[in-house]
Amino acid sequence: MNPDEHKQVDLEDRFLTRRQFLQRAGMGFGALSLASLLGEGLLSVANAQEAEATLLPKTPPLPARAKHVVHIFAQGAPSHVDTWDYKPSLAKYDGQSIPGMEGVAMASPFTFSKKGKSGIEVSEVFPQMGEQVDDLCVIKSMYTDIPAHEVATIMMNTGSRLVRPSIGSWVLYGLGSENQNMPGFVSLRPGGPPPGGTANWQSSFLPGIYQGVSINTKVPTLNQLIENIRNPNTPLPEQRRQLDLVHKLNELHSQNLQKEAQLESRLEAFEMAFKMQTEATDAFDLNKEPQTVRDAYGRTSQGNQLLITRRLIERGVRFVQVWAGGWDHHQDLEEKLPDRAKDIDQPLAAFIRDLKQRGLFDSTLIVWGGEFGRKPVRDRNGGENPGRDHNAKAFTTILAGGGVRGGMTYGATDEFGSASVTDKVHVHDLHATILALLGFDHTKLTYRYNGRDFRLTETSGEIIKAVFA
Amino acid sequence: MKRFLPLLLSVVFLSANSGRALAADLTPSQLEFFESKIRPILVDNCYKCHSVDAEKIKGGLLLDSRDGVLKGGDSGKVIVPGDPEASLLIKAVRYGDPDLQMPKNKKLPDDQIAALEQWVKMGAPDPRVATASSKTWTDNKTNHWAWQPIKRVPVPEVDDNGWSKTPVDKFIFAKLAEKGLQPNPPADKRTLIRRATFDLIGLPPTPEEVQAFLDDSSPDAFAKVVDRLLASPHYGERWGRHWLDVARYSDTKGQPRRNDEDNVNPFAWTYRDYVIRSFNEDKPYNRFVLEQIAADRLSTSRQNPTNLAALGFLTVGDHFMGMQNDIINDRIDVVAKGFLALTVTCARCHDHKFDPIPQKDYYSFHGIFASCVEPKLEPVVSPIKVTPAFETYHEQRDKLAFEQSNLETSLPKLRKNKDQEAFKEARRTLQRVVHDIAMLDLTNTAAPMHAMVLEDTVRGHDSPVFLRGDPGNRGELVPRRFLQMLSAPNRPIYTNGSGRLELAMAIASKNNPLTPRVMINRIWEHHFGEGFVPTPDDFGMMSEPPSHPELLDYLATQFMNNGWSVKKIHRLIMLSSVYQESATGNPRFAEIDPGNRLLWRANTRRLEFEPLRDSLLAIGGMLDTNLYGRPVQNRALDSNRRTIYNLVDRANIADVLVNFDFANPDMVTGARYQTTVPQQALYLMNNPLVINLAKKLVAMPDFLDRTDDESKLQFLYERIYQRLPEPVETQLGLEFVTSTQLLDDSTNALAAIPPPEQLNAKGKPVKHPVNNTPKKPVPLTAWQEYAQALLQANEASFVN
Repeated sequence: MNPDEHKQVDLEDRFLTRRQFLQRAGMGFGALSLASLLGEGLLSVANAQEAEATLLPKTPPLPARAKHVVHIFAQGAPSHVDTWDYKPSLAKYDGQSIPGMEGVAMASPFTFSKKGKSGIEVSEVFPQMGEQVDDLCVIKSMYTDIPAHEVATIMMNTGSRLVRPSIGSWVLYGLGSENQNMPGFVSLRPGGPPPGGTANWQSSFLPGIYQGVSINTKVPTLNQLIENIRNPNTPLPEQRRQLDLVHKLNELHSQNLQKEAQLESRLEAFEMAFKMQTEATDAFDLNKEPQTVRDAYGRTSQGNQLLITRRLIERGVRFVQVWAGGWDHHQDLEEKLPDRAKDIDQPLAAFIRDLKQRGLFDSTLIVWGGEFGRKPVRDRNGGENPGRDHNAKAFTTILAGGGVRGGMTYGATDEFGSASVTDKVHVHDLHATILALLGFDHTKLTYRYNGRDFRLTETSGEIIKAVFA
Repeated sequence: MKRFLPLLLSVVFLSANSGRALAADLTPSQLEFFESKIRPILVDNCYKCHSVDAEKIKGGLLLDSRDGVLKGGDSGKVIVPGDPEASLLIKAVRYGDPDLQMPKNKKLPDDQIAALEQWVKMGAPDPRVATASSKTWTDNKTNHWAWQPIKRVPVPEVDDNGWSKTPVDKFIFAKLAEKGLQPNPPADKRTLIRRATFDLIGLPPTPEEVQAFLDDSSPDAFAKVVDRLLASPHYGERWGRHWLDVARYSDTKGQPRRNDEDNVNPFAWTYRDYVIRSFNEDKPYNRFVLEQIAADRLSTSRQNPTNLAALGFLTVGDHFMGMQNDIINDRIDVVAKGFLALTVTCARCHDHKFDPIPQKDYYSFHGIFASCVEPKLEPVVSPIKVTPAFETYHEQRDKLAFEQSNLETSLPKLRKNKDQEAFKEARRTLQRVVHDIAMLDLTNTAAPMHAMVLEDTVRGHDSPVFLRGDPGNRGELVPRRFLQMLSAPNRPIYTNGSGRLELAMAIASKNNPLTPRVMINRIWEHHFGEGFVPTPDDFGMMSEPPSHPELLDYLATQFMNNGWSVKKIHRLIMLSSVYQESATGNPRFAEIDPGNRLLWRANTRRLEFEPLRDSLLAIGGMLDTNLYGRPVQNRALDSNRRTIYNLVDRANIADVLVNFDFANPDMVTGARYQTTVPQQALYLMNNPLVINLAKKLVAMPDFLDRTDDESKLQFLYERIYQRLPEPVETQLGLEFVTSTQLLDDSTNALAAIPPPEQLNAKGKPVKHPVNNTPKKPVPLTAWQEYAQALLQANEASFVN
């Protein structure tokens, strides 16, 4: 067989073993999606490469402002009127009924003051984040569909309350990962699973490689972080020799067979696995950080999570989901909310400063927010120490870095913060905006499943261009 | 046999001929452009006012057919083909003229406007023909192959030099010959018995079974192997698992109703066992269908109450926090995709975009399942033996149930009293009690088996159409009945209870061409790696046409004529030459048919996780061959029972399953993904189960008894790959073992990774916990390491 002929066959094999994938993929690359829709057999090499169901890095079809996403999920639904959405009228009407709402207004127990050059009002519960406010874009006009934690949490992560791929999976599908020795989408949680469990980082009908790798950062040892990451018996140099033998065995095995991409890609998988053993564990090993850095983040659960996050981003991980919940304050809001704010205040401020110092801030989009907001009135079940009930009509989400303009607010709620009224931003709009920052037209990042092209934003989604830097 | 084939007679064809002509006029790229770009814009933005189905047609303009578009409306022609600038439609969507802006509510995005401009410029190619109403479909919809009656096709005459062993082969050969291809020579006997054994029972053949087959030179030697495997009780474990993928099986509810429901389904496994048993018994497939939809309405279930467990097919889905419409949707989905390969649930919010499934049909099904309930007390389907163990169980359960009912009574009072703490405490206790009951039922072997049944409500009732899928926006009531596309005119309306039994009978009917085709396709897929139709759960318009439509129909006919016996189909397929081909490559053929759709060779197939893990256990002699029973609760999946018995938790699937492309239990999965990820490699490199197996293999007496290295090596090859090593493989192995033995003495240092700092509850670092000091690892011996390498190599994970 002459070399060209061999190449030809090999190429077609590579292509065809990906046929299933090609028929489904739509990433906004015009030629590709057209060809894939037609189910045509002959694509150019470049397109076949681009469409491969691997984690290899891909260039987005449109100019990108951000390359990585860090989504800090303030699960439980933080009260926006006590943190980022200052409503003086609540103090004025405290204890009185307000128009159009059941119950009586509850003044925020916290003081707000103007911070930074931008003079954005920030609650005292976020002293350090207040110092960084000129880096933040505060979206005050968020809203979602259903004020139930689990549904809304899944909605925020997948754009749906049904079984759909998470935003991290979509991003990984669209962009691949910059580091082949690491998972491309990591979800960090300090303990048990959040409401909705795996639904929050699932790949659903997207291929399994786009699923988030969920890691409990509270587990006691490194090798529990990623299953089978360490070999209890074989030292690495010895394992290297063993792996070389495996490759030789595989070569002999495939000699008589048709060249199969599936067989060949196993070689890459084993090599990546071998490297992951050191690189992935290294990424999670905070002992490698100087004491000053550890102190800056605070040696707390969230401090550690964000420091791990920075180490992951540095290594090219595409999407990191960080669970920082506990915000469901139906009662005792005055006492309990500041604790949750304190959990994240120092770590997040340190994280932003750290990314800036390392030149990663501009390419990393940071999202902080919950699944919905809270009502401006006292929760009837709150008793003596009141809190606030769920509210799907208004909440605040914060963006920073990654091509977002700092020191700005976007949109507004009504006088009491009971509903978003100006420049409303639905969850789909937020998703469309995140994808746009990464260089995707959210209507074109699609995947065909059951005869339909699915996308993260379902049938809606407006890009909020005003937040772009 | 006389069969009434009523398909689609109800459909009115309007200008069917001109429709064909129109479609033919379009080039594929024009058609593609229209379907992907233009039709969605028109459907989403214009049809509401400009289609025959519009409540009120505005401006006398119809944009739902080519004729309508060309004719224009009250203001005259709306497009001038080839000239966007002169076209009113383009002017309107550009929003330039304040008096002419369409769509009224909102300007289209720029890319859609550009697409419309381009379309007009192209001459407005348009395949759509005028329709009378939504009840009418274009002929390409009605003529789609999948819903045509099954054809009785003569077996082709082929000149194949005696290659064909069965009629199946003749169909295959005819297609190969058309393309100038030839079938591969047969695989050697070792390859063949390995392939057949993995295919049918999901395990490797034992060395003795291989030897017996090699020694049997009779012409029916392979038929004997196939028959032996089909009679094995492990057959049901293998093929039952394929079906459980379709049935989106899980032992948990995913999202239980708050407060009064636990996440665990303590008796889902009775459905799993029913499935395994049904395959083992070769239950006629039409009966299998009937039972899974309506076992409670069949007289046979009275004689054999365990059959009631069949209804798990409907009830093992997610509970969607008790949201009834989502639960119903899930049931419609599993029935429609599982048996008919139809995406009926696409019609939840609107008529199906591609297939002839009107939204009303969805709500006909909705009415059926809305007329069913899960009874609070599931029927006991195993005889109760009053043993001491049972009495203890019973006592515990009664106590918990008593506690539960007390709490349930007190909760409303506490809520009224506004005693927050007491209320919350009681609710927490209730949740715990409910969980304890579920766990007791799940784990206590004395607990009698229950079937997860569904029952009809006292009176069946029809559902209204939910406009745009919104339950708050109700349209007309639709009768409960079968799909229009698969029915004769005057579709019967279901009156028998919920109508579930009638639905089951319509699906299992010989007149329904989809049911046998869909199952045949599933069987074929698991023998060859891909079905005739590559999308086993969707035979709709968007699916690829079958590679061998005649053979598919031939097999479907055989299937029905032979009492819907799945085992007879296996036998027919496996005794054909096409099944027995070798997997050897052929560059010339690969250029003609690179995907091997025509089956000129056998496909090299990766083992799914279950047969992979089970084979590791079997190779090491560790496999627990017990059948059936309560699920094994073991997230690490290191028990010795077959993988199918491990508990599946849909809300929290074990990482190892996810990494190996296990079927997502939230959706019908006729074909699993096949991704290759490093976590799979890590499993084979580092998982204790694999390492222990390597140790076990070289500690077997048969291995130790062999004195020379070459013979030891042969033992490992036979055990793991069911074949003998080639000389070059022997050489490679001997070199590795010798050099490793030399190294064993010199290196012993583990590249230790220091454990991470741990934090206590206050975030302070914890100093070396005592119980967590890693044991000093013992490095593997040369032979152990070699055995593990064989397990990691491709051959152990693939079947050719």
